[in-house]
Amino acid sequence: MKKSSIVKQKFKTQREKDVLSHMISTSLKYKLWIAFLFLFIVFGMYGYYRQLRYGLIVTAMRDFTSWGIYISNFVFFVAISLVGSLFSSILKLNDNIWSKPLIRVSEIIAVSAIICAAVIIIVDMGRPDRFFYVITHLRIQSPIIWDVIIISTYLVISILLLFISILPDIAICRDRLTEIPKWKKRLYKIMAINWSNHPKQLAKLQKVTKVLAITILPVAFAIHTVTSWLFATTWRPGWDSTNLGPYFVSGAFMAGAAVIIISMYLIRKHLNLKPYITESHFDKMGKLLVLLSLVYLYFNINEYLGPAFKMVGVEGEHITELFVGNYAPMYWFVQLGGLIFPVILLMFRWFRKPIPIFIISVFVILGAWFKRYLIVIPSMQHPYLPIQGVDESYLHYNPTWEEWSITFASFAWLLLIITVLIKLFPVIPLQEDELDLENSVEPNSLKNEN
Amino acid sequence: MESKNSMSDSRRQFLKKISTGSVLAVTGLGIYAVSSCKQTSEEKTTLLTPEGKLVQVSNSEIQEFEHKNHISPNESRKGIPGKKFVMVVDLAKCKNARKCVKVCDKHHNLTPDRPYIKVLKMQDNEKSSPYWMPKKCFQCDNPPCVKVCPVGATYKRSDGIVLIDNERCIGCRFCMAACPYSARIFNWGTPPNVDKEAEYSPETSVPSKIGTVGKCDFCPDMLRNNELPHCITACPNGVIYFGDEIDDTVSNGEETVRLSTLLKDKAGYRYLEELGTKPRVYYLPPVDRLFPFDKTNQENSEP
Amino acid sequence: MKTKKNLHLSLLQVLFLIGWGFINNSMIYGQETMEEAIISISFNEENNLKTIIATVKDQEGQPIEELDLFFYVERTFSLLPIGDVFNTTDENGMVEVEFPSDLPGDSEGNVAIVVKILESDLYNDQTLEMTKKWGIPVQLDESQEKRSLWAAAANAPISLIVVVSSMIIAVWYIIIYIIYNLFTISKIKI
Repeated sequence: MKKSSIVKQKFKTQREKDVLSHMISTSLKYKLWIAFLFLFIVFGMYGYYRQLRYGLIVTAMRDFTSWGIYISNFVFFVAISLVGSLFSSILKLNDNIWSKPLIRVSEIIAVSAIICAAVIIIVDMGRPDRFFYVITHLRIQSPIIWDVIIISTYLVISILLLFISILPDIAICRDRLTEIPKWKKRLYKIMAINWSNHPKQLAKLQKVTKVLAITILPVAFAIHTVTSWLFATTWRPGWDSTNLGPYFVSGAFMAGAAVIIISMYLIRKHLNLKPYITESHFDKMGKLLVLLSLVYLYFNINEYLGPAFKMVGVEGEHITELFVGNYAPMYWFVQLGGLIFPVILLMFRWFRKPIPIFIISVFVILGAWFKRYLIVIPSMQHPYLPIQGVDESYLHYNPTWEEWSITFASFAWLLLIITVLIKLFPVIPLQEDELDLENSVEPNSLKNEN
Repeated sequence: MESKNSMSDSRRQFLKKISTGSVLAVTGLGIYAVSSCKQTSEEKTTLLTPEGKLVQVSNSEIQEFEHKNHISPNESRKGIPGKKFVMVVDLAKCKNARKCVKVCDKHHNLTPDRPYIKVLKMQDNEKSSPYWMPKKCFQCDNPPCVKVCPVGATYKRSDGIVLIDNERCIGCRFCMAACPYSARIFNWGTPPNVDKEAEYSPETSVPSKIGTVGKCDFCPDMLRNNELPHCITACPNGVIYFGDEIDDTVSNGEETVRLSTLLKDKAGYRYLEELGTKPRVYYLPPVDRLFPFDKTNQENSEP
Repeated sequence: MKTKKNLHLSLLQVLFLIGWGFINNSMIYGQETMEEAIISISFNEENNLKTIIATVKDQEGQPIEELDLFFYVERTFSLLPIGDVFNTTDENGMVEVEFPSDLPGDSEGNVAIVVKILESDLYNDQTLEMTKKWGIPVQLDESQEKRSLWAAAANAPISLIVVVSSMIIAVWYIIIYIIYNLFTISKIKI
């Protein structure tokens, strides 16, 4: 049945066939993948149920380490979401044509990451039943409120960008795809908003795309800078730094580039898109990743050199703990394995081939996640006043299984949303060129009442 | 003749006895009435029973509710007018007796691992002697915790006290991250000993609620009755002084001194003054101590 | 003769009983036979030096010497002692205490001065209170909460409100403009 639907479906170009085939048939691989993700999600739901029932005491957070991996995960997701702006804005406005196939993937990842960031922040709240107080009783002076505002703004802009970039292709889906269930046909029809490749429509779309591409850039910078202000407005070692904004933003772009490489590789492999995502794409992404990592390395050096030189009080204790203390193994894995070695290796062409760069990007992402862990948790263990007279467990933070299960569930949600969006919408542009009118829809095929 | 006289005599005697007795009785009653405090009033109040019936009950039978001045969360945002509370801790006298911690834990239903008051062993540098420093919330005049609260669950009042409204707190714990003095604790699980009958007031901080933040509140319920907070009166060594900055007077329960004199003469300072939080708690340096520093001493090893 | 004797006896009985009652009553209040001292206070103010002069006399009008008097000013939680540690009356039963010139009073400058005789061997405890306008008037700051970063939501600094609002309005205006454009796109018909 499934394979036959591909046979029955008529495509106009080979490109369409390659890109749209997976959308009309559901392979076993796909189902297994979804089931695998749901396994994590269900397990995470059970962990969250326990947290709702007994309170945050089921986590390992206590009065001194009052922020844990939920918050570091939140920072990680916000960082990942910046990749959307990287492609839709920075690369596009600089006329990097090679990056065009990747714009949609980046927007899909951005949208999913922001949704998961919002969810994980609600999970971290002590009273999620009072979540709406953030809207009804908001205090404009609080950095959390700024974060809420900017995250919702960025989510809306990312959804708009995603929609605008897939709009012409939705129209093609609406017109071309026949072997799809009725609800999908309705979905495409509604979402295509009467797109007919009319020149006026094209002109408007181009204008709109340009405006959004420019708008999203300051918003993207702002979102991660405001998230950094959640830390920079406090007096904790490692947080009380004027460098935190650029440090976070540069780290976000680097992590985003690595995520794109990973998703590029996986889509290319599992959706058979080899002709469209070529080795040259990996090569260029590798170079981009090196550039972004060097910028991040620069901010890293700035972040640690000043405090390490002075070793002031609790800042000195914090730096010692990171460099040679309890957190040293994690710290050096992150800095060496997640930053320095990838930069060095990726400078060689051989490492910019698909498989090596994929493996290196996995390390970069792991390094990025643990870097956020290192940003949040060690600083909480070195307050100005000594920690005395409390249980031994207060001095260490070892996340409980509930926290890990919820964290893994959040990753699973991210991948699930990405997978569903890739399944529903063409992941690379169906048209070679935006103004390619040859493959565009003809006026008389607008009638599709099937 | 004599019997008649004796009869009249005995009558007269009887009358006299009666009169003296009655005079005494009247005076006794009068004195009793004056000295008696109990006034059995005949006033009645109309009450509505749970079944919906109206009954008349005499006032003497009505038992007053414990917290007479229940201050609701909205009312507690305004401070006690005309006052600005301040605390002075004399580090020269603290022996870590921990009576303040005990009485605070008792009145705020706290568990021993999450006390509002922490008595820390501090040592300014390697060569100076260690000392005990009781630390509560400093009720800062430039409070970082109030600045960062997204919903206004913690607020600064006109009388200087920073309170927490546990009915608005969303449990984001940003205030805990922002406080440089680690003054706040969090109700990670269900708080123990929750009296479900009691009405919540931020001024008493009970009953505490799960998933919300708590800290020393300077006991505003006591202050409204012009009584000193519990920790001041519980301290056996007279370490903590409390008072009103406008009055320029602080008292530790036994001794009352002028605030300005105390701070000038004993070089009062504020902890981490350079952070600019403007705490309302001053410390007097641990000089001229009459006892050596002992980790466990007679005072805190008592059960 | 007999009746007169009886009369005397009963009179004595009455007096005895009344006296007994009196003694009983005074024993209820727990007082021994101590005397009541009479304190009179006068205030003197010259050259900005405020002094309180207390004169103590006993029941017969004789000045009491060597009696310790305690002077206080009423404060929020307790009584603030003023004067020296021991304010002892001299041979004229007088003692002078200096009143501090910089003590805050209420909004009109009133202070409540308290004079006490405490734990004296010979005289009952006594408290005398009076109000005098010798304090520095304190202006109650009834003004509204000032705008600051730590104020309530309604009192945020104006600059913050302006900056944040303008940024939000600018970006959301663009978003709405784009949505509107998409809407017009959908309306374009061939």
